[in-house]
Amino acid sequence: MTDLTTCPHSADWSEFRPFEHDGMTEFFARKRAEEPVFFDEGTGYWIVTRRDDVRAIFADPDRFSASNVHDPLTPFPPELVEYLKQEGFRRDKTQANCDRPKHTRIRQVAQSFLNIRQFKTREPQIREMVAAAVDKLRGRGRVDLVDDFAYELPARVLFLLLGVPDIDARRIKTWADSRFNMISGDADFEAKMEAGRQVMDFWNYCGAIIADRQKNPGDDYPSHLLAAHAKDPESISLDEIQNLTFGVLLAGHETTTNAIGNTMHMLLQDRDEWNRLVADPSLAPGYVEEGLRAGPPVVIWRRRAVEEVTIGGVTLPEGAPIMMSLASANRDEDHFACPHAFEGTRSNARDHVSFGYGIHFCMGAPLAKLELKLVLELLSQAFPNMTLVPDSDPDWQRTILVRGPGRLLVDLNE
Amino acid sequence: MIKLTFIEPSGTSRQIDAALGTSIMQAATAAGVQGIAAECGGACMCATCHCLVVEAPAAGLPEMTETERDVLEFTSEEMQETSRLTCQIAVAEDLAGTVFKVVGR
Ligand code: HEM
Ligand code: FES
Repeated sequence: MTDLTTCPHSADWSEFRPFEHDGMTEFFARKRAEEPVFFDEGTGYWIVTRRDDVRAIFADPDRFSASNVHDPLTPFPPELVEYLKQEGFRRDKTQANCDRPKHTRIRQVAQSFLNIRQFKTREPQIREMVAAAVDKLRGRGRVDLVDDFAYELPARVLFLLLGVPDIDARRIKTWADSRFNMISGDADFEAKMEAGRQVMDFWNYCGAIIADRQKNPGDDYPSHLLAAHAKDPESISLDEIQNLTFGVLLAGHETTTNAIGNTMHMLLQDRDEWNRLVADPSLAPGYVEEGLRAGPPVVIWRRRAVEEVTIGGVTLPEGAPIMMSLASANRDEDHFACPHAFEGTRSNARDHVSFGYGIHFCMGAPLAKLELKLVLELLSQAFPNMTLVPDSDPDWQRTILVRGPGRLLVDLNE
Repeated sequence: MIKLTFIEPSGTSRQIDAALGTSIMQAATAAGVQGIAAECGGACMCATCHCLVVEAPAAGLPEMTETERDVLEFTSEEMQETSRLTCQIAVAEDLAGTVFKVVGR
């Protein structure tokens, strides 16, 4: 029998184990070769594993609807549905999970603020935030890079976009904890109800921000959306503004936290690559892309077939729910040479699909890349001798859609 | 269908047939033009479909949106007077004969 405690990579899946991490890479490598599009009984989804097929689905939004992107994988308990309804949670399909033509209208308004110009303008403030987070680690010997570093930082950056320059760290933690569990985890009843209460609290917080910005407009996302509404109420409604404000934290927090965790985990596991970065921090952008490729924070993204479709030679019925394995597509040997090697100098690392592709392509991608670049530069320069604590369990998150270490213990060796 | 010409990063010149209604980027990548990564798939986010317009059509090209200008200015190091993101231009009859130079790897 396989001893999973000493040799996790020998975990041999005969079928898809959506919540597990160890064994995923090997499983998908086998599937890409043997059965690149398959139906998974356990989840009830069609799973697509090759990069070309994944890109073809992303590129065809009229035949592959995004409407199921935020659907819970297991239905919410009726008590939770009732609670959210009573509390006035008006979360409608607004952007990531809505289709054309509505998506085009929303995206246009959102993109006129969430864009590279706004991100670049805030670069000095973001750099300061990263530097402050690095400074907080100094002198601490052994730290958990997830809890002590990667967890709060992306949320602070997002609150900057919402016009909240300083936010109580504990509040972030309460909101974020198990939020993804509500839709993609295998949390129990009480955990789901608790997630619901946190979600409601954040929904109301967004409502309060919007009410405030109506009176005191600033240079931030909600104010900008409100200005668009004032100019043309047809372009965006007040409810849509609350949904977009709410959605930014959902979209940009855990994802970026996991990107930091995954990339640092791979970098520290490969001493040569780490030393190369330490010696030349200008290599950081290459490591950012390779980190996103080899360790995508979003491992699975969903679509639904609007009509009968053929993908990778397999015919899927109308309405078929589809999971695209971004983690698998990013390691497709037809596109990436030696896909399992982690190489900061890989020339086509940018061709990953970690931010999706096409009309829904991640609006925060330039921001996430900027944060990651600053993190790699500043961490490698501050703690060049940092090492992973041997044999410490990364405690991979048990969620289907997003993936990252729950813990990353390192010795700073200052 | 119209004819468009692309000068690839290697210097090779390629004439392609582009279907009306698609974007210039889609037509070029479908025809296998080298150097257009189109990382974001046409969402005006990545600037990896950046080309220079070497020979513009008589009627000129459609105006740039502010978003296209921002992405070019902030994402691409080589923005020039003639720069365009080809995913933001739809293939139309009066673009026939336009020559683009690919700014890519
Ligand atoms: C490394 C971090 C991140 C990853 C891996 C990531 C990943 C993704 C993915 C896979 C999608 C779906 C794309 C598609 O369907 O084609 C997406 C959409 C989106 N992301 Fe991100 N994201 C990250 C960070 C962020 C940040 C920081 C923000 C906020 C500023 C953000 C905002 C959005 C929005 C608004 C959408 C919906 C776009 C649409 O449907 O039009 N993301 N992201
Ligand atoms: S394909 Fe990304 S900007 Fe044109």
